[in-house]
Amino acid sequence: MSQQFRSIWFWFSALALAILAVFLLYPLLNVLTGSIGSGGRNGWVTLAGDPKYLAAIVNTVVLGIAVTLTTTLIGVPLAYFTARFDFPGKSIVAVLPLITLVIPEVIAAQTWLMMLGNNGFITRWLGGHGIDMPTFYGWPGLITVMTFTYYTYIYIGTLAAIRGFDVQLEEAAQSLGTSPAQSRLKVMLPVVLPSVLASALLVFTLVVGNFATATILGSRVPLLSVLTYQAAVAEGGSDPVMQSTLATVSIALVMIVLFVQRWIVSRGRHEVTQGRGARAEKLRGLPGLVIGLSAAILVVVSLLPLGSIVVGAFTVSRGPVMRWGEWTTAHVERLVKIAPDPVINTLIYSAVATAIGITFSAIVSYLIVKKRNILTPALDYLTALPLALSGTIIGIGLIMSFNTGFLPITGTASIIVLAYIVRRLPFGIRNSSSTLYNIPNSIEEASISLGVPPVSTFFKVVLPLMLPAVAAAAVLTWTTTVAELSASIIVYSGGRETMPIQIYKLIDSNLMAPASAYGLVLVAVILIPIIVATRVFKIDLFSSKS
Amino acid sequence: MTHLIDRRTVLAGLAGMAAAPAFAQSASGTVVLYTSNNAQSVDAVLGVAKEKQPNLKISTITGGSGQLLRRIEAEAAKPQADIFWSSSANTLGAFKQLFEPYASPAASAIPAALRHPENLWTASNVHLVVAMINKNQLGGKPAPKTWKDLIDPAFKGKIIIADPANSSTAFTILWGVDKLMGPDGLKALAANLTVSSAASTVLRAVGQGEFAMGLTFESNAYAYVAGGQREIALLYPTEGTFSTPEFQVLVKGAPAGAAAKAAYDLMLSKEAQIALLENAFRRPSRSDIDVSKYVELPAMESVKVFAIDEDEAAAKRDEFLKRWASYATATK
Repeated sequence: MSQQFRSIWFWFSALALAILAVFLLYPLLNVLTGSIGSGGRNGWVTLAGDPKYLAAIVNTVVLGIAVTLTTTLIGVPLAYFTARFDFPGKSIVAVLPLITLVIPEVIAAQTWLMMLGNNGFITRWLGGHGIDMPTFYGWPGLITVMTFTYYTYIYIGTLAAIRGFDVQLEEAAQSLGTSPAQSRLKVMLPVVLPSVLASALLVFTLVVGNFATATILGSRVPLLSVLTYQAAVAEGGSDPVMQSTLATVSIALVMIVLFVQRWIVSRGRHEVTQGRGARAEKLRGLPGLVIGLSAAILVVVSLLPLGSIVVGAFTVSRGPVMRWGEWTTAHVERLVKIAPDPVINTLIYSAVATAIGITFSAIVSYLIVKKRNILTPALDYLTALPLALSGTIIGIGLIMSFNTGFLPITGTASIIVLAYIVRRLPFGIRNSSSTLYNIPNSIEEASISLGVPPVSTFFKVVLPLMLPAVAAAAVLTWTTTVAELSASIIVYSGGRETMPIQIYKLIDSNLMAPASAYGLVLVAVILIPIIVATRVFKIDLFSSKS
Repeated sequence: MTHLIDRRTVLAGLAGMAAAPAFAQSASGTVVLYTSNNAQSVDAVLGVAKEKQPNLKISTITGGSGQLLRRIEAEAAKPQADIFWSSSANTLGAFKQLFEPYASPAASAIPAALRHPENLWTASNVHLVVAMINKNQLGGKPAPKTWKDLIDPAFKGKIIIADPANSSTAFTILWGVDKLMGPDGLKALAANLTVSSAASTVLRAVGQGEFAMGLTFESNAYAYVAGGQREIALLYPTEGTFSTPEFQVLVKGAPAGAAAKAAYDLMLSKEAQIALLENAFRRPSRSDIDVSKYVELPAMESVKVFAIDEDEAAAKRDEFLKRWASYATATK
């Protein structure tokens, strides 16, 4: 019995591994080996010979660290106060992550420029009062905009960990004579730290891979992501050797950080059984006001880009020039009547990708968490791998691998779907496995010892327990897939633009109004499933229950 | 078990997605236009088509010109596109075998210099190089008038241009400056220029005031003037500016057949070129349209154009880019 039980899951693991080898490892190897050009041209020689590339590497590391720090400084306290305290306006903070996640980053960047760019209204207003603002282009803009784009990831990751933290541990510490503040630091911190670090790593990776915000704001600051993207899609033909070389460098950067993160996490392993969450304390008076106000400022600043989407979509424009204060529905009408393709494409590709991706991740995370065998550590590492790869790199790898040969899907819709699945795989896996860790093995063992076969046990006992997490993972995968830009913009072909691609192209051409119209639809497409999931099906998406 | 279902879903899903677009294009009377032009240009031409040829349905696929030409190349065995619009002669030269020679009757009003000798391609419009100026960002200095003014050290770091290695626009401009002012002039200009690796940044950067000036094509920059942004002005340097035509081609084995040729003729028609001029500020290739009647652009006769040999520019491209790179890094 036990022997057979083991072998079934073993073969599932092998199959999953084979799929990952074809669609993830093989493209990655192509990227890595591509840096040594075939025509005697070595990307590494070019890299070493041009100071532009060295500057780009240094800038990328500096930007990555800076934004990781700023997002942590905002995200962790916000999560802590939201999880443990009641303060005025808390209910608004709880929905905050939904909104910042769905705003196309290029529109956010554009919004900041409309305020603080050389022609921005704050800059002009201050200029009128004799105050010269330092330039927002380059570093200040990059750090500000990326901080507000990405702090949500830290917030969500930390919030879930604090909510999952068993308050009895803290009480135990206190009953043993530790002060409340100290017990929180000594008991809660080690348990929460892995989640904070994982979110911080995610942010670092996203910053290293971000070319869109960087293109809009940082034309003076050379960055790896921008150079890689441009090597891949240059107007005068792409540069396969340099795109591979630059991609390899950014993979190496993230890998180093990944190993540091894994090393820190591995020093303390905590298995926390589903415990009793802490009750939120009420904060009144001055502390409540201060925290409520800080949160309110954060909410307002995070919502500004959403405001500019709504206003921009209905503002008259003549080519690139916006006529603020004059209103029209022409952009939305044009989108519906003449150019609905990006909307339809986005919906189809994301739906297919989410369905396939979630099925695959639910099974793989079950294997990794509950059915450990000789293959599952490899599965664990491989499925986390896309986290370390920017979308640009995934896109380049897929294009290089599936252009010709056994699966020639370059130039079709399939490669866009594939890029989505590969890119968002870790999201699904992390989400499903975090719940699985909280399902005690004893439940499943009890079922099996009562005579239910392992596979039936999975369906009858484990899956129902996993289902809320799978549903949450599906909605998150959908959200992030619909908004996916950097892999799809590499692999898409004419006529298969998605909304984020179209928005990027329009903003890049300085056509704010039509971009906002697509932005509005994009936000709707993302928010509707979230609202349905949370309101109608009562799925706890962002661990927002207290 | 579940895993097999999963895999099958993957394959079925992927196969379904790949097959879907093939159905959409099989209707007769539909012309498929692959175009690298912006939405305003495409809308202008489609508007004229709807009015003049209501039975002709033109569906468009947009993308970068290199990207679309490579797609036509990949589809050569079973062409999907009828017309490609548009690119410069030196880009099209590498894809000659994909095009069908066609002497459009509408081309009679287009000067011979703007047509391929064997009618492989015909110019749909002509670009002029300008300096786009944001007067608010000049720091109180008078607006420059000449190429020579642009090399004034006072403008160091205030002028933006795309990377000539990636952008054919920037290549045309810098190649022209080199011919007009000599290598020393180009070197001096390089000292003032900020090179943006993305071509689109130039317009955005000047329009939003990040830079005081940008070197680009007239049609792109004029959109800001026409839109009513008062601080934007165009400079046609008095020593002479540069011009480069943009061409349309008929794809070899175009599936729409006669309909494709009808669309090709339509795109070269006086009405289409006027619409293109009014909506996208593209100067017509036809000689029977008075530009100043439709938009506030200077008439072609009033702009001094410094002639460039496009064949030479194409042949010596790599050599020039290398020299340019040495100037660009020397001044940093």
